[in-house]
Amino acid sequence: MLSDARTRSIVIQCLLVAAVIGAATLLVTTTFTNLQTRGIPIGFDFLMMPSRIVISEAILSYKSRDPYYWAIVVGLANTVFISALVIVFSSVLGLIVGVTRLSSNPLASGTCRVWVEIARNSPPIVLLIFLYSLWWKVLPSVADALSPLPGVFASMRGVMVPSVHISMATAGVVLILVAGLLFLAARLAGSLRSFRPVLSWAAVAVLLLGLWFADASVSLDWPVFAGSNFQGGLELTPELSTILIGLTIYTTGFIAEIVRGGVLSVGPGQWDAGRSVGLSRSQILRLIVIPQMLRVIVPPLNSQYINVVKNSTLAIAVGYPDFLAVMNTIISKSSHSIEGVFIILGVYLALNLTLSSAANWYNRRIAIVER
Amino acid sequence: MKTISLPLSEAPVPAQAWSAPLLASLRRTAGLLFGSPLNATLTLAFGAMLAVALPPMLRWLVLDAVLFNPAPAACRAASGACWSFIYAKSGQLLFGIYPVEERWRPALVCLLILALLGWSVRPASWTPRLLALWIAALALIVWLMGGGLGLDEVPTSAWGGLPVTLILTVVAIGIAFPVGILLALGRRSTMPAVRIAAVIAIESVRGLPLLSILFVASIMLPLFLPEALLPDKFVRALVALTIFAAAYLAEVIRGGLQAIPKGQYEAAAALGLPFWRTQYLVILPQAIRVVIPALANTIIVMIKNTSLVLVVGLFDLISSGKAALADPAWPSPAAETFLFIGAIFFALSFSFARFADFLERRGPAAR
Repeated sequence: MLSDARTRSIVIQCLLVAAVIGAATLLVTTTFTNLQTRGIPIGFDFLMMPSRIVISEAILSYKSRDPYYWAIVVGLANTVFISALVIVFSSVLGLIVGVTRLSSNPLASGTCRVWVEIARNSPPIVLLIFLYSLWWKVLPSVADALSPLPGVFASMRGVMVPSVHISMATAGVVLILVAGLLFLAARLAGSLRSFRPVLSWAAVAVLLLGLWFADASVSLDWPVFAGSNFQGGLELTPELSTILIGLTIYTTGFIAEIVRGGVLSVGPGQWDAGRSVGLSRSQILRLIVIPQMLRVIVPPLNSQYINVVKNSTLAIAVGYPDFLAVMNTIISKSSHSIEGVFIILGVYLALNLTLSSAANWYNRRIAIVER
Repeated sequence: MKTISLPLSEAPVPAQAWSAPLLASLRRTAGLLFGSPLNATLTLAFGAMLAVALPPMLRWLVLDAVLFNPAPAACRAASGACWSFIYAKSGQLLFGIYPVEERWRPALVCLLILALLGWSVRPASWTPRLLALWIAALALIVWLMGGGLGLDEVPTSAWGGLPVTLILTVVAIGIAFPVGILLALGRRSTMPAVRIAAVIAIESVRGLPLLSILFVASIMLPLFLPEALLPDKFVRALVALTIFAAAYLAEVIRGGLQAIPKGQYEAAAALGLPFWRTQYLVILPQAIRVVIPALANTIIVMIKNTSLVLVVGLFDLISSGKAALADPAWPSPAAETFLFIGAIFFALSFSFARFADFLERRGPAAR
């Protein structure tokens, strides 16, 4: 009877389902007995209680009498903040390094090659700990802070950058504006058939008008050295700066290789073909080369961006309170480990699914439609 | 600041050395560096950057550094790197808290693993006998590290440093590879229950950071499992690394399976081969060869990932480095120590990457 393919497949599947159910039952029952013998309560009620945990630094405002759920949100905001900045910086740098690696200039391409090899072959956690150990060795005291750009100061105490103060109303309008611009960019990069310039520009004009009429109170706060320390601006502590710099160096190495592969994937014949129909250099680049390159680089870029979110957990190595570090503290403080682990798993799955479905949506728009 | 004068040779280069090919290659290099406005700009920009960055780095790394002087005071006095710390502490850095008088055992284990790896990468040694050799070697490794049967017993909690990194890498990848193949086949199965189970397993592991999986393994398993079944910290970390590697390897292998044309399955069916023999003899050898570059990348990621076990309290290279730095007799040269540890990881990963390049270039034609 087992020689019949249908019967065999049904038997195999039944066995698998039974094994999964059996293992799950065993796990759940042991867990509950273990919890009972140790007297650990279960449930999500603790989320509303004051946490009394310490979060050394945060993007959102946090006090130790705030409830647990707010501590989780604050940790999550830190993770999203790190990931977003690293994604932006390493995309720009990766584009530059990847293209420079293709240069015929041995000095330039060699330097970029060294960068890529270091990033690809050393563990990010070692890179972070190494950079962190350099911080006090390399940077001067606050009084002699380096200023590579106007308004940016680097010293032992961290990096000071100008901060932007935006009223809530303005922030909302800016968000809508950014969404509109992203929509427009997607349109521009997408197929030319569906590109309706008039509509998109009209949308931008409406949003700009909205910004004008909203309470447009946007002000820049520049850091100024006063007495013994800096006043104003946004302070990036050594911990936060180390993570941003370290993860950017690391991720740039990978994105540079993706960009290099993308450029190489568009053959020289494409340029010749473009010239033969009388297109200019910039037209060839915009209409022929970049669309084909995007198709090659978007899926691997997507997985790099997801890696950035995952690698942001390495913040724990230098003591920056990212989401995982905050959850770690919460679990050991509240002993609600089961609930804590479920929150951890749920949040990372949700973050990664959001990122990859956004990228997949974009990928579908630029993919070749084969009929 | 202390300056060291290097005995530079000042002898003039003999005139006949400027032969024609040398001149031509010099001219070509000059053309690449300054041939076009873009190249000249790039040369100036990168040249200026390197001119600013390299001299202080070189001074710190070599010229002002303390190389072999075993006195901690020499490091305090110098303005450069303190390499003598690495030299003096190499035993602790490489083997962690392993009992000092037994350090020959982890040293032997490291040599054994590295020698076996070197042996295994020769395509000529890829036979079923290699698997038997590895299994025998692993038994020997466990005996050497753990003791018993005539050797002093050393619990896994006292294992540390490089052997931990090497054992975790080799064993996790070794177990994850067949599991990954099964998951990949499961994901392409025509049986819906098998397919769904494989998809859920692969995607939920890939959606999570490895740190959170290690974390779950370290805090959840004690609650999940009866006390009698609970493995120690080392095994828990190994399980987490294996699960993680298996999910990623499964996706890479699935890519290879997708590249196999339907005709290959039909040909195997025409020969009357059953499912597993079709996979083993026809499909998998081709599928794996297609994805060698991606497999190499995944394995390099795994080598690097073993560095994360320090968060669950295992004494890997980083933790033993941190422990060595705690010695108050020395001025705590953290940058040098982590540079040394980074260099070990770099050597492992980089040589593996070069090996993968070799495999890729060798290609199917060489078979």
